[in-house]
Amino acid sequence: MIETGIPKLDEFLGGGIPNGKTLVYYIQPGVEGEIFGLQTIHSSLKKGGTGLFVVSSTTPDIIKGQFREFGWDIHLFQDRFLFVDAYNSLIGAPSNEKYVVSKPDNIEAFSKTIIDAMKELPPSTIVFGSLSTIIDLCGEKETLEAVRTWNKMANLYDHVLVYNFTAWPYSEETLKAIKEDMFNAVISVGGISERVIFGQYFGIFKADWTKEIKKSMLFRVLRPGGIKLYIPKILVTGPFDSGKSTFVHALSTRAISVDRMGTTIALDHGHIDYKGFSADIFGTPGQERFDPIIKLLSGESMGVFLIVDSTNPTDFVRAKQMLEITKSYGLPYVLIANKQDLAGALAPEEIRKQFNLPHDIPIVPVVAKDKKGVFEAFEVLIDKITGGL
Amino acid sequence: MTDTIDLIDKLLSDLKKSGGVEACAAVSRDGLLIKSSMQKEQFAESFAAMSATMLGAAETASTELGKGVPNRVIVESTQGRLIAVGAGPSALLVVIVSPDVGLGLILLELDKSAKILKELLE
Repeated sequence: MIETGIPKLDEFLGGGIPNGKTLVYYIQPGVEGEIFGLQTIHSSLKKGGTGLFVVSSTTPDIIKGQFREFGWDIHLFQDRFLFVDAYNSLIGAPSNEKYVVSKPDNIEAFSKTIIDAMKELPPSTIVFGSLSTIIDLCGEKETLEAVRTWNKMANLYDHVLVYNFTAWPYSEETLKAIKEDMFNAVISVGGISERVIFGQYFGIFKADWTKEIKKSMLFRVLRPGGIKLYIPKILVTGPFDSGKSTFVHALSTRAISVDRMGTTIALDHGHIDYKGFSADIFGTPGQERFDPIIKLLSGESMGVFLIVDSTNPTDFVRAKQMLEITKSYGLPYVLIANKQDLAGALAPEEIRKQFNLPHDIPIVPVVAKDKKGVFEAFEVLIDKITGGL
Repeated sequence: MTDTIDLIDKLLSDLKKSGGVEACAAVSRDGLLIKSSMQKEQFAESFAAMSATMLGAAETASTELGKGVPNRVIVESTQGRLIAVGAGPSALLVVIVSPDVGLGLILLELDKSAKILKELLE
């Protein structure tokens, strides 16, 4: 089993890709998808595996350069990271790689090199940088025939095969074969626009070794960093003086606030990069006179932290009212029981009782000023948003 | 769908070409960055959130006083100016302008662009 290295995807796939299995990243044109194969081979190399990268649309050197851009140290893997160079001979340049396809537009020659490599190498992760380029050079039918053979060989020799495929307008037959028949798993990578959110997503279309989880995740590509799951907006709200700004700052990699005379008057805005997630956090003011601003800012949230001062149960009514103002009902939310270090702080279960909070809403005890519990809270909310397992 | 964002991108780069415009961004009314054209991209998200708040607060203040919806918000400092205009019910457009240019032409361009952005998002 190898891990894809894409946050959450391994979890959804039941741990990763088992040896002998094949996976295709089925990429909508115009989306930054080819990095998926790259991140997968990197993940496998990092865990001590052998990786073979088949380049057909660019040189091995450019791929190595991309590794550097993402901040991945290539020298650690030296002899375990190999290339099949099916590009340089196209442009008449010499190649220093171990495996070279001398005629990349001839599928027999191509296939022979791949099969030779599969026979020689220990169980490896073999990533095809661009299946679409091979199809463009060798023809649709011919390439698919070869891919079928490679997939069988992979099963025989315990390799993991990963393909990047950009779904250009090929024949319907070809697209259907790739999407439905030929691979053990299909991950679709596409773009969405939902009102004002323009983003890229991936989702499992098919995976025959595990229970399929039909769930789409927004992602971003960071350099350095690679693929991060992206959550455009998490709202932090709660009554006056419950510690919202402190919470935003404790959680964020960087954050700014608009506060005057000790209270937030416009908003807190923070950005967090944590465990493969990239999220923007909006903290609202708490005082009632700012309610119009709270309403203004709360749209499009994907999840909510509702902060309460654990020592101040009289505020719980206002906290509930704020859920209403932010129209957060129905969104995943987590109650943050802040100021747990103070004398008289109620225990989470006591708060649940007084608050009349349903049992499926998590309460996380936190001391925001000491950053205690804030990342746990983040993980709990992320799990709720992503339908974690 | 991907086309819309490309068109917004084009709109912003055109706007940035008008004299004196240092940076600009399309922002959703609730503070999310749609697309920006600025040097320091990592600040764009905070900038977006703050601009949406500013315009929203100005609109609330002005309508509450019975003075109608303001045409724009202009923030002036010695180092530059920041102008935010509404672009329909779901977005706004923000530009940063250097301090030494006249605003007339820029405001005209800005209103024109805001109208296009509004149409793009409909």
